Amino acid sequence: MSRLSKTVSASDKMHFIPFITAGDPNIETTIDLALMLQDMGASVLELGIPFSDPLADGPVIQRASLRALAGGMTLSKAMDIVPKMREKGLKIPVIIFTYYNLLLQLGENNFIKKAIENEIDGLLVPDLPYEESAALRSQCREHHLALISLVAPTTSQERLERIGKDSDGFLYCVSSLGVTGVRKTFHPHVLSFLQRVQKASEIPVAVGFGISSKEQVQQLKDYCEGYVVGSAIVREIESREDRLQSAERDQAIEEIRETLSQKLLF
Amino acid sequence: MTFPLLKYCGNQNFYDYQLAASSKASHIGFIFYEGSKRYVRSQEVGRWIGKYPKQKRQKLVGVFVHPTLEELKDVLQYVKLDIIQLHGHETVSFLQEVSHAVKLPIWKAIHHDEEALSLMREYNGVASGYVIDVKTKEAWGGTGQAFNWEVVPDYTQEAARQGVQCFIAGGVNPSNVKQLLLYEPMGIDLASGIEQAGVKSKKLVEDLERKVEQTMNKFPDEQGRFGDFGGKFVPETLMYALEELESGLGEAMADPEFIDLYHKTMKDYSGRPTPVTYARRLSEKIGGANLYLKREDLNHTGAHKINNAIGQGLLAKRMGKEKLVAETGAGQHGVATATIAAYLGLSCKVFMGKKDVERQQLNVFRMELLGAEVIPVESGSQTLKDATNEALRYWVENVEDTFYLIGSVVGPHPYPMMVRDFQRVIGDESKAQFLELKGKLPDVIAACVGGGSNSMGMFYPFLEDDVELIAAEAGGKGEDTAFHAATLAKGRKGVIHGALTYLIQDEAGQIIEPYSISAGLDYPGIGPEHAYLASIDRVHYESITDEETLEAVELLCRLEGILPALESAHALALAIKKAKTLTKEQDILVCLSGRGDKDVHSIQKTLQGGGVHE
Repeated sequence: MSRLSKTVSASDKMHFIPFITAGDPNIETTIDLALMLQDMGASVLELGIPFSDPLADGPVIQRASLRALAGGMTLSKAMDIVPKMREKGLKIPVIIFTYYNLLLQLGENNFIKKAIENEIDGLLVPDLPYEESAALRSQCREHHLALISLVAPTTSQERLERIGKDSDGFLYCVSSLGVTGVRKTFHPHVLSFLQRVQKASEIPVAVGFGISSKEQVQQLKDYCEGYVVGSAIVREIESREDRLQSAERDQAIEEIRETLSQKLLF
Repeated sequence: MTFPLLKYCGNQNFYDYQLAASSKASHIGFIFYEGSKRYVRSQEVGRWIGKYPKQKRQKLVGVFVHPTLEELKDVLQYVKLDIIQLHGHETVSFLQEVSHAVKLPIWKAIHHDEEALSLMREYNGVASGYVIDVKTKEAWGGTGQAFNWEVVPDYTQEAARQGVQCFIAGGVNPSNVKQLLLYEPMGIDLASGIEQAGVKSKKLVEDLERKVEQTMNKFPDEQGRFGDFGGKFVPETLMYALEELESGLGEAMADPEFIDLYHKTMKDYSGRPTPVTYARRLSEKIGGANLYLKREDLNHTGAHKINNAIGQGLLAKRMGKEKLVAETGAGQHGVATATIAAYLGLSCKVFMGKKDVERQQLNVFRMELLGAEVIPVESGSQTLKDATNEALRYWVENVEDTFYLIGSVVGPHPYPMMVRDFQRVIGDESKAQFLELKGKLPDVIAACVGGGSNSMGMFYPFLEDDVELIAAEAGGKGEDTAFHAATLAKGRKGVIHGALTYLIQDEAGQIIEPYSISAGLDYPGIGPEHAYLASIDRVHYESITDEETLEAVELLCRLEGILPALESAHALALAIKKAKTLTKEQDILVCLSGRGDKDVHSIQKTLQGGGVHE
């Protein structure tokens, strides 16, 4: 069993899966944030790769992409950050979140080779739906790298069953229609959707898109094994952009930890 | 449907053989029956094969009529045949005898008549293949006549049941092969159909193979792929919307009432058909081929964009969607969408990059006047590609009551196919008009390509004809500068807006903002079907610079009294270049996709010195 599967299958706790964009606003911050999030109790880290055209993302993560791109971040450079995180004590599994064009340009084989070398555990490609992913999926499997699948409340029962049976790591459930970003309410059918997903899949289920408070997590906790938080974290980074690039970084990160702990942990 | 086997038979000289050996034929046939006019001597055939090896996958078939075993062995001494084809009244026991003696698969020719199927059953287990032919009283075999192909599936079924191959022969040629392919034969046997003056013709062979390939490759396939290109590279949240669109579109296109309504609206509302105009003074001035213009500039709203907006608008209404969203660059597609929304009583939101909003004030006002809401997009580089991202994001969230009306042959499946099908009216009309005008098809057709909707609509009905298709990409200030939108010349394979295609990007895969004097051509990608047509060399793409474009604008204004859109002037400039290399007997049809009133300001600014777009 892979480190990722062991982690997400272990215990009956609700797994906290934070998302940050690599290089937002710089590499040092990304490393420190990863360690801080592990310390906060994160089970898995989702490391986002900035892209010029992030179709699935809302404004907060779009802006994070722009900040990271301004610093010259690429998929390849982002993957090189992971060993540095490990050196400093990062133990939790790391998943690379990248749009497909970046993966295509690096080359799927190059990506897999590098992922193994750099102790990366999984891959999530938001614009590669199940139908287009067969080749990459089997390659990932061969190298024990989890290609995380997404399902949405609008995913048909037939596709849900197909995807559910053919997924690795955990199944990522999109809680609301639209793009990533903080929302007050979930899709009205999210709970029944999660029940459908649990029936269709044997691997753990995590919910993402729009989660920003422990109240929301409470609401979901009987229906899934984990929750992904992105924009709510990235927003805190954004509001401290300048300080994170100055001598005040440690202090700024400490503030982010406090804010997130209050908002998200219970 | 799988690609049929092709047997080129009756090769009579080295050149015939060489042509077959370098073609897509799976089988190469020689006739060793002295009574045939295509008889060849085995020693000679042996020499040809020694001189020019066939492809490994190809099989050699020797055709005989009532041969003796000695004759067969004699031929085999010189030619290593893979298959023996018996074309007379050879009996089952004779086939067994031959099979035993030469240890090769034996094919039996069966003459098409009421008895043919039962005859096939008699040879069950003995024959390894059948060639179904027409027989006349005088001649054995090859008569060059076709039979009624409706029975082809019966023969194919019987052969499949026996687990053997079955070829259809007699009268098949490049002009009727598509007809035959409708009946899905396993194999096709050709002789006279690919001959001219008694010898095999390279042109006919290429023509035939192209037609077979086109029929077999009905693109896009079920995955929305045109060869390697296209597909649906979108977030899971969009899959439902695309599935819903696909099924709505499928139903509409199969409904004659919908098709009628589309054509009626095009006629009554947009003024179609648009004419074909002979550019007499321009042609004389250039000296070379004659230039003809397909006048899409005479459409309502001044460009071809309305064809697609009408089609998708009617589809939206049929699918019960009350709200349209669209992306726009310069504003032309936004205006077309706002127009059809007003006409059909639908609401309309147009996403437009903030930079474009600032530099296209007039079109923004036009859209607002038509009742649309223009939403400035501040994300990314604040231009067309970002407007498209934003429209897609909006659609995902509002799919229940909203229809996303994409303006070009781009985006995830089924958009490239749907927009092409709503634009093919350009090519369909042109074909009929040109035939009426000149009694033949044009020799060359030229169009411009950004995303590529006018060119796709123009080219599509001509893909299978013997017409040279050329397309102009925006070369901007030159392909080798940083200021161009020459996607095929300078781009690499990648994914943009849900489709795998060529796109302009940096090494890491970040999409780069393109440049062109023409706001309708500065798209960093290109429709996936264009990427495919470029990959198979069916369409030739060339880039045309801003400077060449402006020269074409001036020429057309002064010599013909037509002000073309800057986009269309790219096509015209390419056609002018091409015309100079042709003769007075040849004709070039140019897709004049839109009128240039919208560009007067840019043209004036540039001609008076100073750049376009600030």
